[in-house]
Amino acid sequence: MNQARRLPGDWYDGLVPDNTSIHETAHLESAYSFYLYRSELDEGVRMGEGSSAYLGTMFDIGTHGSVRIGSFTLVNGAWFICDRGIEVGDYTFISWNVLLMDSYRVSHDPAVRREDLLRVPHRRPRTPQFSEAVRPLAIGSNVWIGFDVCVLPGVRIGDGSIIGARSVVADDVPPYCIAAGNPARVLRQLETPRK
Amino acid sequence: MSVGGTASGRWVDGALPPGVKVGEGSLIEGSLAFKRFYSTAPDALVIGEFCTFQRVQFAAGVDARIEIGHHCYLNSTVLMAELFIQIGNYVVIGWNTSIADTDFHPIDPMLRIEDAIACSPLGAQRPRPPVGKAAVHIGDDVYIGPSATILKGVRIGRGAFVEPGSVVTRDVPAGARVIGNPARIVDRPE
Repeated sequence: MNQARRLPGDWYDGLVPDNTSIHETAHLESAYSFYLYRSELDEGVRMGEGSSAYLGTMFDIGTHGSVRIGSFTLVNGAWFICDRGIEVGDYTFISWNVLLMDSYRVSHDPAVRREDLLRVPHRRPRTPQFSEAVRPLAIGSNVWIGFDVCVLPGVRIGDGSIIGARSVVADDVPPYCIAAGNPARVLRQLETPRK
Repeated sequence: MSVGGTASGRWVDGALPPGVKVGEGSLIEGSLAFKRFYSTAPDALVIGEFCTFQRVQFAAGVDARIEIGHHCYLNSTVLMAELFIQIGNYVVIGWNTSIADTDFHPIDPMLRIEDAIACSPLGAQRPRPPVGKAAVHIGDDVYIGPSATILKGVRIGRGAFVEPGSVVTRDVPAGARVIGNPARIVDRPE
């Protein structure tokens, strides 16, 4: 665990929470990324060696959520909606306005949604606590995710793959391929690197 | 200052525009809520009870109306109304969703040139050419995921589930689940 701390030159008057583990060489642009952070785990966010999270990145993490970002991975303004686990490998690029969610935060059952909605006005602050089974996300290493992409709960993206801009990824993407579209489909295979 | 009288905290610097009616227990947060609210209709925006709006923009044109039921939760949504947007009860709309009941500009290229001039700094007195509009209706118990887009004339049936990132261009039957651009049905109710 780190000490809660202010980032040098941060425009936002807030702290990086102590229950995070940010590598000393990792770059975080603003503590505003933790505005919606509610994790109570020891390590709600982990950022590896040489990783970075730029402006617009939001760790919207529930009490039992944890986001783990690998080494040399660049997050250029993505929104993490996390109630359990989102894992991102090493050397991965994530572009602006990308949404990575391991939970819909709402039930698929309208009757359960009604019960949750009835409680919202009585909460302080009015952040909803919707009941929904979560399905963790696994983004591999050496992946490149284009801008405005949505990755839906439970999806696994294999190493080395590319997701085209504005795609909605609803199903798993195998390693070393290009996938795009809404919903995303595999468009072609990339050459697998020789070890 | 609060709207509907329950929650505390500053939500906007200024008075509520005329024609806005907010039910008991409903809360509107975010300083941009009425930044683009131009409607002068008597019931321009009518909101039911115990709704929560966080960073929602009510962008209503001069004659537009927006009607929202009870117990809704909307987050970072832009409602672009030139005619009528109706949202039922117990509706959840999330994160960066846009809903529009208008085409914004004419489809016909010649009319669009006319519109470009009327919209320019030199077009102050010119009337804008007619633009396609059709009311949007969203039924009770609907869920609309993050980054979705709902286009004009669409009717989303009761209890439907719109997956994140969907672009809804056609009606969605009650209880269906849709995904894609354009949105297609993936699950029908039994």
